[in-house]
Amino acid sequence: MTPKSYTDVSDQQVVVFAQEGREDAYRELIKRYERPVFSLIYRMVRDNETAEDLAQETFIKVLNNIDRYRPEFKFSSWLFKIANNITIDHLRRRQIDTISIEGSPDAITAERARATAVTVTSGGESPLEELESRELGAQIERAIAKLRPEYRACIILRHVEDYSYDEIAEIVKLPLGTVKTYIHRARQELREYLGDLR
Amino acid sequence: MIEHDFDEDFVPIAAELQRLPYLSPSRDFADRVISRIDRLQPAQGVAPVIASRHLELQQGGQQAVVRRRGGGLVRGTAKAVVGVGLLAAAAFMFFEIDVLTAILSAAASQYAFAIAAVGTQLGALVLGSETIAFLQAGALAAVLLYLTLAVGLFGGYAAIRTAAHIAKRKAA
Repeated sequence: MTPKSYTDVSDQQVVVFAQEGREDAYRELIKRYERPVFSLIYRMVRDNETAEDLAQETFIKVLNNIDRYRPEFKFSSWLFKIANNITIDHLRRRQIDTISIEGSPDAITAERARATAVTVTSGGESPLEELESRELGAQIERAIAKLRPEYRACIILRHVEDYSYDEIAEIVKLPLGTVKTYIHRARQELREYLGDLR
Repeated sequence: MIEHDFDEDFVPIAAELQRLPYLSPSRDFADRVISRIDRLQPAQGVAPVIASRHLELQQGGQQAVVRRRGGGLVRGTAKAVVGVGLLAAAAFMFFEIDVLTAILSAAASQYAFAIAAVGTQLGALVLGSETIAFLQAGALAAVLLYLTLAVGLFGGYAAIRTAAHIAKRKAA
């Protein structure tokens, strides 16, 4: 049976349609998760083009292997797990550990830095509110960027994506105790970097 | 909302973390992913979904847009059927066509799907996939190329028929 709309359809059900090879189901899964996945990857690699390539690689890998999805797990966990693996592999290859919200750490010229920068626009805020919001966001982004990649993934999954410790352990393929330690240390480091926020 | 499992002094930071916006990839992200997914069937019932975008990602450079050519085989089949039909009709109108030719034309129409599939593969092998993609794009130049091919086919068929007719006369 074909749904008229996927609005009220669960991820698991959309996956079933995707497993039948339905393009609209694939598009729905991309629509639901392109921004969370891209955001997680961008916050880990801090480069627009690289994040896009890695996000694309993630979705291609997941959707081409959709038959291997096990419905006892959350689809989003499986997706984030693959995104994290691909990103960590990339970071290990490239050893990119520092970031700038203004642009890629690899940017050599100002033009290149602008080209790789992310512009976040928001609606409904006054220019002052938007400026403050952006400044706070930029501080947070800079602080996250100073963390080790493993800490970044854990803290983002915990505080941005609202995953439980168990789910994070499953996603990043680390023991539960290690995940708790990473998150604890990441919080400590963020406290130090963002002292004036307290 | 996750449970509160951290010290009070982390609360404002946690609040800021939760307020971090999602960032969006480029607009053609889904298309680029879909173009590289195997085993797809065309969409049915649900219109292609376009994500609402409150957040925009500034793209500094040009993005290579890979267009999907879904339904290319169907279009090719339809064109083949129409082409064969036109050729058969022209053959009936301008030549004394025999029953065998009519049957062959009908068979070609019936098996157009298989012929188109094989033809597409052979065409990709001989002409290259870029040329095939160009032909499927339906540009004016492609139409002219189709017409040239059709005229060539038609002319070749006519020449063979004429040669056979002359040979038959001489033999008689």
